[in-house]
Amino acid sequence: MSLSGPSTDSVIQIRNLSKVYRDFWGRPKVKALNALTLDVRPGEVFGLLGPNGSGKTTTMKLLLGLLFPTEGEIKILGKSAADVAKNERIGYLPEESYLYRFLNAYETLDFYGRLFDMPAAKRKERSEQLLDLVKLAPRARHRQLKEYSKGMTRRIGVAQALINDPDLVMLDEPTSGLDPLGNRDMKDLILDLKKQGKTVLMCSHLLADVQDVCDRIAILDNGELKVMGRVDELLKAQDETQILSSKLSPDAIREVEAVLKKHGANILKVDQPTANLEDLFLKTVQESRERPGHRTVKEGTAS
Amino acid sequence: MSFDPDLMPLAPALLHWLIVFGSLSLATIVVSLLSMLVIHGGKGLPLFADEVQGFFTDLVSISFRRVAALAKLTFMEAYRRKALLIFVVFALLFMFAGWFMGNDGEEITKPTVKLYISFVLRAITWLTLPLMFILSSFGIPEEIRLRSLHTVVTKPARRLEIVLGRVLGFAALGSLVLLVMSVVGWIWIVRQIPADARSMLICRVPVRGNLSFKDRNGQDVEKGINVGDINEFRSYIEGATKARAIWTFSGIGENSLDSEGNLHIENQFMAFRSYKGDMNRQLLFDYQFRNPEKNITYTTQAWPIVEKRGVTKAIPRKLEVPSEGKTYDLIKDFVTSDGNLIVEVSCIDREQYLGMARIDLFIRLPDQNFAVGFFKAVFGIEMIMILVVLMGVCASTFLKGPIATALTFIMFILSGEDTHRFMDQLIGGKSIKDGWQGGGFFESIYRIVTHMNPTTDLPANYAFTVMQFVDWVLTFFLWNCKQVIPHLKYFNMQEYVANGFDVPFDQSLGPCLLITLAYVLPCVLLGFFALRIRELESK
Repeated sequence: MSLSGPSTDSVIQIRNLSKVYRDFWGRPKVKALNALTLDVRPGEVFGLLGPNGSGKTTTMKLLLGLLFPTEGEIKILGKSAADVAKNERIGYLPEESYLYRFLNAYETLDFYGRLFDMPAAKRKERSEQLLDLVKLAPRARHRQLKEYSKGMTRRIGVAQALINDPDLVMLDEPTSGLDPLGNRDMKDLILDLKKQGKTVLMCSHLLADVQDVCDRIAILDNGELKVMGRVDELLKAQDETQILSSKLSPDAIREVEAVLKKHGANILKVDQPTANLEDLFLKTVQESRERPGHRTVKEGTAS
Repeated sequence: MSFDPDLMPLAPALLHWLIVFGSLSLATIVVSLLSMLVIHGGKGLPLFADEVQGFFTDLVSISFRRVAALAKLTFMEAYRRKALLIFVVFALLFMFAGWFMGNDGEEITKPTVKLYISFVLRAITWLTLPLMFILSSFGIPEEIRLRSLHTVVTKPARRLEIVLGRVLGFAALGSLVLLVMSVVGWIWIVRQIPADARSMLICRVPVRGNLSFKDRNGQDVEKGINVGDINEFRSYIEGATKARAIWTFSGIGENSLDSEGNLHIENQFMAFRSYKGDMNRQLLFDYQFRNPEKNITYTTQAWPIVEKRGVTKAIPRKLEVPSEGKTYDLIKDFVTSDGNLIVEVSCIDREQYLGMARIDLFIRLPDQNFAVGFFKAVFGIEMIMILVVLMGVCASTFLKGPIATALTFIMFILSGEDTHRFMDQLIGGKSIKDGWQGGGFFESIYRIVTHMNPTTDLPANYAFTVMQFVDWVLTFFLWNCKQVIPHLKYFNMQEYVANGFDVPFDQSLGPCLLITLAYVLPCVLLGFFALRIRELESK
């Protein structure tokens, strides 16, 4: 079968991709993916969403050649998933950081750099850049990975995925195990990659993260594609209008409501917007670091 | 019995290399093809063709930087997982070995020296090999289980490079272990032997000849006399008769002489006395050098034999015959035009007998340093270790760690002398008692079921012709299996050193190296296919 359709310039092309897991005797056990067709375009951040067992990690592993498709075809950067040459331009962050626990951060990046046939000087330079980029503390860089926290392991995992300055970055649950600071750094990194013109494919079940960074998403369930499209379009409420202004007095609110009712509007809710918890957390931690020792206990939070 | 090594000349070794390489490569291809057909059905054949093409693509695109990176990773992994704790066991062994093997101030004898050398080489072997069994068999399965391999195969590392990197990494680790242990072992041996007895640490370089006999009437015979000994290793010549034991040495020239121009001949004959005689004197023998082309003979003086320990005699190049007023040149006059030197041995004592085997007399070239022989034997262990690593890594590409270890261990057991002898008997259709047991597999079953005597001919019809043909195919398959299973007897070179001999490169070290190399490509090929065919993520 040859790939068909309009998106021949796509970074990833998936056509009718199915995967059936079989038992020892070759009998079908689980149909993890069923006739999936999608494209990922150059320079976009594409999110694969779905509950556990929906097939998003299977899709990613099929793309990487770690699993073989039962049916269907994959083209990734114009090459077959089984072609090792495609890996020259790909960076991959696994779901959990399956790195070599007996290596330290420098040795890890040096090892993966060697796999890309990078000369020693370049490996060294790139390692320093990436360790700074993922904000791994200098004192931690000479410790073996088995001594790292989950967040630190995730950071070094991201660094190894970027060692070759890839065109396509595949991130499997990139924010898993990260604290809110790390989470924000990761999202900033993904947006930064997008700015650099890289294509990012990520899968996650943390919807807020996806919403923050993805241009397009696909939602899978039971191995089937349920929804695909631009995030802003999919989330847009077609039959509602939102007006945001600075704080109004009760009288002004009553007048605005009267005007809206005059135009036949059905007012659903009038209240003050709240900041999200992530913003509050980041602001608090930032203040704490800028003013060590200062403590603000707001009413209702003290016990 | 004297040390009688099984040598493997280079020409049969080359043939063996060809059989091993060809058979293993063919078996790998057939197994891989069948696996692809089972997994993918009808699409298996074109996929297999793609994989073969992929192998050659990988072969020409190998990056030595990647292979070196994977080898270094393997080495560091073993090192940081405390594999080198094996040195602690080694150190403990040698710290207390002296308690059990010390000579308590008694004079050091040759058997004691032999014991020390054998102990060190065996200890090195049995500490290194189990370590390599486990490391090489568990490496890849552990990486797959922990999914570390995912981060490697999603980089441009090719499967061939992964297998090669693993093999090289483990081989490097094993070599380091061997090097450290052998240096410590060598120092231990030297320190264990007092300075005045260190002359027993020798490394003789023998030139072995072919042995033939003449009977008491001077007639050529295949063997000498059997004096009633059930051990037919040696046969005997009768004293004061025309009976001779004749050694023919080839390749003898001026380089066989020492710096003073002497040719050293060492012997270790056994005496059989038909009467007691003078018990204070050993039986006498002499050497006769004979050149049939020039029809000249030179007889040396008579010397007493030294039973069990042997004796070396330095024969001067200039051989004077005062009675004839002549002086012969040992090399120019007695080495024939085709480079042979004929040495005849006769027993001087009437009605007494001298027993000898081919290995009981040899020309002794200038000795090597003991360390040379010792480290050659260590190199033999190194090759066994490399075979273990190759088999372990290869098995680990398609089996889980414990199973891969078991398979490698079984291959190791099959490589032993007893198994090879048993396979020889099966292939030859012979029992242990050298009697025919009624044909091959199916013929034997038929004879057992029908109670047919093994000596009775089978009925002449097509069914039995087909049955015998199938038996022949099975026997040929078994023969092939026997060829491809390494025969570790040839790799065991410690007996050379323990017995004070050098390890010959052309008849032991070189052929073993050649045979080891024969396993490299098929094992790597099988590892490549196994990693390509299997889904690494599959549970």
